[in-house]
Parts: sequence; C-alpha cells; structure tokens
Amino acid sequence: MKFSKLLYLALISITLFFTACKKDDDSPKTYETGDVSVEFENVVGSVHVDVFGTTNYTNQMGEQFTVTKLKYYITNVELLKEDGSYYKVPESYYLIDESVTSMHKALLTDIPGGVYKGIRYMVGVDSTRNVSGAQEGALDIGNDMFWTWNSGYIFFKMEGTSTASSSGDLTFHIGGFKSSLNQAAMRTVTLSFGSSTLTVDGAREAEVHIIADLLDMFKTPTDISFATLNFVMMPGANAMKLADNYVDMFTFDHIHNGE
Amino acid sequence: MRNNVFKIVCWSALLLLGSCVKDEDSNSNEVKFYIPNNFPQPVYTFANNEITQSGFELGRKLFYDPILSRDSSISCGNCHQQNVAFANADHRLSHGVDGLNGTRNSPALFNLAWYPSFFWDGGVTNIEVQAAAPIVNPIEMDETIANCVMKLSRSKTYPKLFKNAFGNDSITSKKMLLALTQFMTALISADSKYDQYVAGKVQLTSNEKSGLDLFRQKCESCHKEPLFSDRSYRNNGLDFSFGKDAGRAHITSLASDSGKFTVPSLRNVALTYPYMHDGRMKDLTAVMNHYSNGVKPSSTLDSLLQGGIPLSNQEKLDIISFLNTLTDNTFINDRRFSEVQ
Repeated sequence: MKFSKLLYLALISITLFFTACKKDDDSPKTYETGDVSVEFENVVGSVHVDVFGTTNYTNQMGEQFTVTKLKYYITNVELLKEDGSYYKVPESYYLIDESVTSMHKALLTDIPGGVYKGIRYMVGVDSTRNVSGAQEGALDIGNDMFWTWNSGYIFFKMEGTSTASSSGDLTFHIGGFKSSLNQAAMRTVTLSFGSSTLTVDGAREAEVHIIADLLDMFKTPTDISFATLNFVMMPGANAMKLADNYVDMFTFDHIHNGE
Repeated sequence: MRNNVFKIVCWSALLLLGSCVKDEDSNSNEVKFYIPNNFPQPVYTFANNEITQSGFELGRKLFYDPILSRDSSISCGNCHQQNVAFANADHRLSHGVDGLNGTRNSPALFNLAWYPSFFWDGGVTNIEVQAAAPIVNPIEMDETIANCVMKLSRSKTYPKLFKNAFGNDSITSKKMLLALTQFMTALISADSKYDQYVAGKVQLTSNEKSGLDLFRQKCESCHKEPLFSDRSYRNNGLDFSFGKDAGRAHITSLASDSGKFTVPSLRNVALTYPYMHDGRMKDLTAVMNHYSNGVKPSSTLDSLLQGGIPLSNQEKLDIISFLNTLTDNTFINDRRFSEVQ
C-alpha cells in the first residue's frame, strides 16, 4: 500500500476515534415534563381490602373485624431528586377512596422531567387549608370528609364492624390540626424507591405503587383493642394514637416507568 | 273652558312627572358591603368572594329555600327570621326535619363578617363553611352537601342563577356556600336608635341614657361596643356544672373551657328572646335578675362575674330601656334581605 494512503487511513481512524470519544461527551439527555400516577393499594395483611364488609380480618390483638369504608387524604406531595432536594408538587391534594375505583391514586401532573429516587407526602390536610373556607376538588366538603361542627377535615376515615366492639361498629374518623391543643394529627410519610428510580419523561405516564396495610393502623407503636377503642370522631389523644400508628402503614412496592 | 282644560293638562303632567321621580330608597335593590361608623375592620376578607348583586340574590334564594333540607321542609329562614333579626321568634330551641328538637338557641344573624368564629361554642371558624353545619345536622336539615348540589343541578331554575353569579352553570358546593356567604355578610345591623344617638342624630330619654352609662360600667367588658360582643368564650354562671352542654370544651376538649359559651351580640336583643345558649331565660328581666342574684359559681366562672353584678331594680329597668335602643328597625324591615315571594 502507498505510504500516503496509509497516512490517510491513520488520520481518518484517529479522527473517527476522537470523534467517537467526543460523542460520549455529548450534552446530557433532556427529560420532558410528564405525569406520575401514585397508586395506593389498600390491603389487610396479604390480601386486598374488601370494603363491602364481607371478609373477616383479625387485628394484632386477635379481634375479628370487617371494613365498610376506607378514605384518606394524601397531600403536599414531594418527589426526591437525584441531588437530594425535593420537588414540591404544587396544590397537591388527593382523596383516596377504596370504594371508588378511580380514586385509588394520586395523579401528579406537570412533573418536571427527570429521575427521582423517593417520595414524601402528608397523610391529612395542612393546618392552613383546614380553615380556608369553601374549597373544590379533593377538598370539597361534599366529599363527606369535613367536620362541619368543628371546622376541619377528617384526614383518615375507616369504618367497619367488630364482634369485640360493644356497639358492633368500628368508627374511626381521624382529624385535628391544632398543635396548640396537642391535636395535630397530620403525619408525614417518607419513602425511598430503594434501588429503583422513577423516570418522568413526557407522555408516558409513570406509576409508583405503594402498599397501604390497614393492619398497621391498629398496631405499632400502640396495639389497639376494639373492645376498648372503637369510636373516634373528634380531634384528641385517641386520634393522635391512631395517626401515629398509620403513618407507617405505607411501603413502596414498585415502579412502572411507562416505557 | 280652554283655560280649565289647560289647567287639568298641566296638573296631570305634574302628577305624572312626580310619580316618575323614583324614591331613591324604596327602589334601591342594590346590596353592598360597607363598614359602619366606628366599626372595626371585618374579619372576613371577601377574597375571591366580593358581594355581587347576582351572588347576593342567589344566596338569598338559597337561604329561604327548603330544597336544602332532606325532605324539603326546612330552610335557613325557618329558624332565622328577619322580623326578629334572623333569630327564631319566641323559640327556646328550634325544631328541624321530622320535628326533632335542637339543643341550643338559634342565634340572631347580623354583622357576621366581623366575627372570628360562629356557634355558641365557636366551632366554625370560617363563615364560608358555616351553612354546611345546619344542613348536615340530622336534627336540623338532615341533608348531605352532595345531595344539595345534585338537587340544585337538577332544578329548572338554579343552573341559570349560578351561571349569572359565577360565570358558568356547573354547580359546586363551594359556589353554593359562597353565594350563601354573600347573603349572610350583607346582613349589617348598625342603624338602631343607639347608633343614631352615637352619630349625634337623636337624643336618648333620661332612662335610656342612665342605662347606657350603667351598661358602660357593668356590661361593656364582655358586650363591647360597637359590636356589643368581644366574641370571647365565657362562663356566665348559668350552672354549677356542665355535663349537659360543655360549650367551648366540646371543641377544645379542655376542662378549662367547660361551661364557656360565645358572648352574643346584644344588638336587637329586645327581639331575640328567649336568651342564653339554651334559651332558658324568657325575657330581659330574667337576665337582669340572673346577673344581679343568680350567678352560680364553678371553677370556670368568668372572673368578671365573681359575686355577680349587683343591680338595683331601677338600674335593671334603665339598662333594659337602653337595651331596647339597640333594636334596628331599618335592618328588620329591609326588603333586600326578605324572602322574595
């Protein structure tokens, strides 16, 4: 082979080589704004909860119970970015209602594109919005989650039956936001995605699946016996006890990044 | 003859013109919020809910409409009657759907934009959600908010009224409540004989003036002018113990609040008998006697009422004379606040 051709070949190879290296240094991928559906799977131990009251469950104290209503507020949602800071989802107020299929999720819209490694949210409604007057959407008082006699939202509503309860009924309406009276029952849940990550990128709606185990509402740190506590319908110490229990009922399960 | 015809024509013309000149007051239908002389700034900010004529009229219609009760038998106006300043005339307690009796005396409604809380125990802290409480109470109107919205949406008349007031005909609980709020906050009572006296327009009789002086010495601390209430919660010595109705403690769960009730405004008090949170006192004489001789001690009795308020019979009479000057006839006769037939 002619020497000049060899030289050309060498030059081209070197150029290609460096160009190929340059390609690795291209500007980073841009992610587009998208939606995230945070799905709450309500279970009792290992089975999905039946809110028709036809399934018998057993609490930590060995007492039988059924469930006829399960509703709770998930609000003030934040997503943990890779750099360790949180993105606050504006105006994020969602009502989860087990009896309505379309209300098993919190749909977060217009989330900045990117990769997230955790989620943080409040179970309940922040104190300001408890006294902000007539509101719409999830905070509409027509959702039957507001104490009209003592202005404030019911954060978590669980109803059912139990043979251990003197009335036969279980009525747990948990609420209260006044810290001055030691009645603030709002609780913050922080969940890491572990080795998974959430990718928000444009039209494909990503899903984060969280499991909420109702059994945890009645144990840890306080084991609840329905014989002694089966009716809570106002702010106070009992509401706080149950809120301290249910704060750890949520576990991160898995993510669908919508690809 | 021509002269007479001319005269008749002229007089007729004059009469015709005269009848065309409208009396400004009687035809003025417009409602505005205003701050009367000497009143402080209101608590309600009207943010996103300025009073508009269509919003006010929708709120008024809702106020008098029994559609908001389960069986369409009870409206707000049943227990809040304009001729007694929107209290419940001559009723110790009110009765709701199915004739069920309530537990507390229906408060009069006026000057609500100045109140930081509502009810005898202050349980409601934003006037926008006040109306929801009697609507859903099983012993009052026994209806759900969702049903109210559904009934209004299905009615032949309301969707258009909501469209006029809010720009579109989709009815939500928020819009319903905002309209009611516009009506309620428009109810301003500040034109009693007392108000006119303070403005220098009228004189009080000597008994009324003595009564005012006594009032300022002995009643003012709680029934502060010009609202005639400081809207605090106090135990005014009605009972030794409060198992039946703990008042403010029902809201705070604090033992120190047991037996405390909201200090009511005394405006229009001559109209709003019977008195106290459970309507136990039938007239102002009974109230005067209570304060002078009937105050019952308990651990939460207001410190200002230890030992009661000694009053001679003449002093009682004078105070009652003064209290009668707080009746606002302009307010109770204002057609803008009345039910439209």
